Amino acid sequence: MAAGISTAHSVVEPSPLVRRIAGAVVILYALITIVPLIWIGLTSLKSPPDSISYPPKILFEPTLEGYCNLFTTRSRQTAEYLQGLPAASGRCEEIARQRSMVVVGASNFVPRFWNSVIIAFGSTFCAVTLGTLAAYGFSRFKVPLKDDLLFFILSTRMMPPIAVAIPIFLMYRELGLSDTKLGMILLYTSVNVSLAVWLLKGFIDEIPREYEEAAMIDGYSRLQAFVKVVLPQATTGIAATAIFCLIFAWNEYAFAVLLTSGTAQTAPPFIPIIIGEGGQDWPAVAAATTLFLIPIVAFTILLRKHLLRGITFGAVRK
Amino acid sequence: MNDTSTVRRLATRAAEATPPPVVARVGGLGDRAIAWLFIAPTIVLLLAINIFPLIWTIYLSFTNFRANRPNAAVEWLGTRWYTSILTDPDIWAAMQVTARFVVATIVIQTVLGFLLAVLIDKKFRGHGFWTTLILLPMMLSPAVVGNFWTFLFQPQIGLFNYAVSFVTGLPPSSFQMLGDVSLAPWAIAIVDTWMWTPYVMLICLAGLRSIPDYIYEAAEVDRASKWRQFWSITLPMALPFIMLAVLFRGIENFKMFDMVNLLTGGGPGSTTEVASISLKREAFEKWRTGYSSAFAIILFVTVFGLANIYVKALNRVKQR
Amino acid sequence: MTTRPDPIPGAADGDPAPRRRIFRRGPWENAATGLIALGVIMLMQPFSIELYSWSFATTLAGTVMFIVVSKFPE
Repeated sequence: MAAGISTAHSVVEPSPLVRRIAGAVVILYALITIVPLIWIGLTSLKSPPDSISYPPKILFEPTLEGYCNLFTTRSRQTAEYLQGLPAASGRCEEIARQRSMVVVGASNFVPRFWNSVIIAFGSTFCAVTLGTLAAYGFSRFKVPLKDDLLFFILSTRMMPPIAVAIPIFLMYRELGLSDTKLGMILLYTSVNVSLAVWLLKGFIDEIPREYEEAAMIDGYSRLQAFVKVVLPQATTGIAATAIFCLIFAWNEYAFAVLLTSGTAQTAPPFIPIIIGEGGQDWPAVAAATTLFLIPIVAFTILLRKHLLRGITFGAVRK
Repeated sequence: MNDTSTVRRLATRAAEATPPPVVARVGGLGDRAIAWLFIAPTIVLLLAINIFPLIWTIYLSFTNFRANRPNAAVEWLGTRWYTSILTDPDIWAAMQVTARFVVATIVIQTVLGFLLAVLIDKKFRGHGFWTTLILLPMMLSPAVVGNFWTFLFQPQIGLFNYAVSFVTGLPPSSFQMLGDVSLAPWAIAIVDTWMWTPYVMLICLAGLRSIPDYIYEAAEVDRASKWRQFWSITLPMALPFIMLAVLFRGIENFKMFDMVNLLTGGGPGSTTEVASISLKREAFEKWRTGYSSAFAIILFVTVFGLANIYVKALNRVKQR
Repeated sequence: MTTRPDPIPGAADGDPAPRRRIFRRGPWENAATGLIALGVIMLMQPFSIELYSWSFATTLAGTVMFIVVSKFPE
């Protein structure tokens, strides 16, 4: 619906002037809204001195220094030592040499990013699988205390994360799940499954029961009807739900910062602690932020027609 | 190779051994069994990861347990933590900081979001594209983007300060959005508004589009002024949607943690110390687990109560 | 609680007569909602610490009442 295909107003059609003014105001707001995002992208291409210049530079010579600093660790060397080295191999080494440094290794960014990918995809897969089954159960069958169960499922998502983190911290310590990917996948699955159930129930409710009933008259069992009739019909819904779960797990910060510190740390708690020599290395932070946000921006554009459903747990559909 | 065939043989044998009535019930008629089979995994997971820990928290909230001293003797304290939290002026102050944040952001976002929705509903050319652009911040990570806002808020070099000084003429280093006691809460409110106005806008837009045209047509026939139409048709009919957005934003901002933690960490002083930040300090810095469990339960019951109202609002909208 | 806009109301939910039930439950549910809202306001108001001290009890009472009331048969 976000694209706005709906019945045209007839007598209540706004006049061209009103339309133009409305358009101008909305476009102005949209432009202000995306300035910070553009600034993130621009900063990631600046050199550290350019990034902190006053007045803020819009025109500058783009460099990959931010990205290089993000992916590598460097150490400062004396001029004599640098003289004695062979010619720099690779773009990042060259940039480092200009700052009288040498690249000594890879930074933690790639492993942290991978943690994010694994945890986000793992928890999304689990949440959508569980959610599809449960949503079908709630949509098609008489379940005792159905409304209470559905409310219970939703309420788990509303809990304050810090309040949940206290017992989870203790529980994971007992079970040896602290700072493990499995622990984070389980936790994110439990948070996402509530959204998945509610969203998918909305999608499955829209598939006419007659389809399955016809299939079952043709000799399909209930399970076969579910797999061969309902699932293919629900593909769009499942995909939209999966993207929502993916974005949530990708963005999550509170649990990640409290429950992970090393091996399972995801990108959100890692990015704010990227520091260079003498304070935060803003181009590197911006580079990390850019790489982190690009997938979400892409997904949001894919999802734009289903955003409304997603943010209202499937209640508002138009 | 051998393994698969063994498995297959076992599977066939198991299938043969299963009495036909069971097969019929699970595969064909046993809807009840399938329903439970489908729902149970979700419920079990939530019981294990949410409800069991919750019950544990309730138990801990009556004790003096400390997570950094797991082997110390645990003493039963009854409701002492609850009494002490509910009479503590500092926690009360944190609640008021939270309240000011929640009220300010909700008012700004609702007004702004509703206005934007009204404008977008005029369906000017290209409104789909611009709407998508406006919606972007809402989907981004509050933590990662909030962290970048600390850069925009830098006194001398920050883009935000530069823009403000460009408009007002104040020198850009004369004010510190994050370091000043009176400005820090607004810095957070600004980022929150930037992020979540689109959310309110999207729900309001759905509300506006749910109003059928014939009502406006009838009002035109009755020669009701546009102003009248707005107050007696548009606003009342979009109200359930607005309520939904307000409630959800209220709940979310009541438990706000990510952005505040990264922008100010509760400072300067305790001017932006919202409830979640206080709770984090007690639980994960001072390690007063029993005390913070009681605090967590108080926050949890509040959110749970509001969630009840939210679901009620959700159903009201659904019936439209 | 979840009454879907079914062509046959309640056919899927196993509600014998959802309409009537909602109307009967209505005032009670509103009272519970009011109590929860009151508790939340008491928790966050800046005027009296006395009210703040009683906020949790109020919210808890409202929430329990809401759960009980939602079970009202008619």
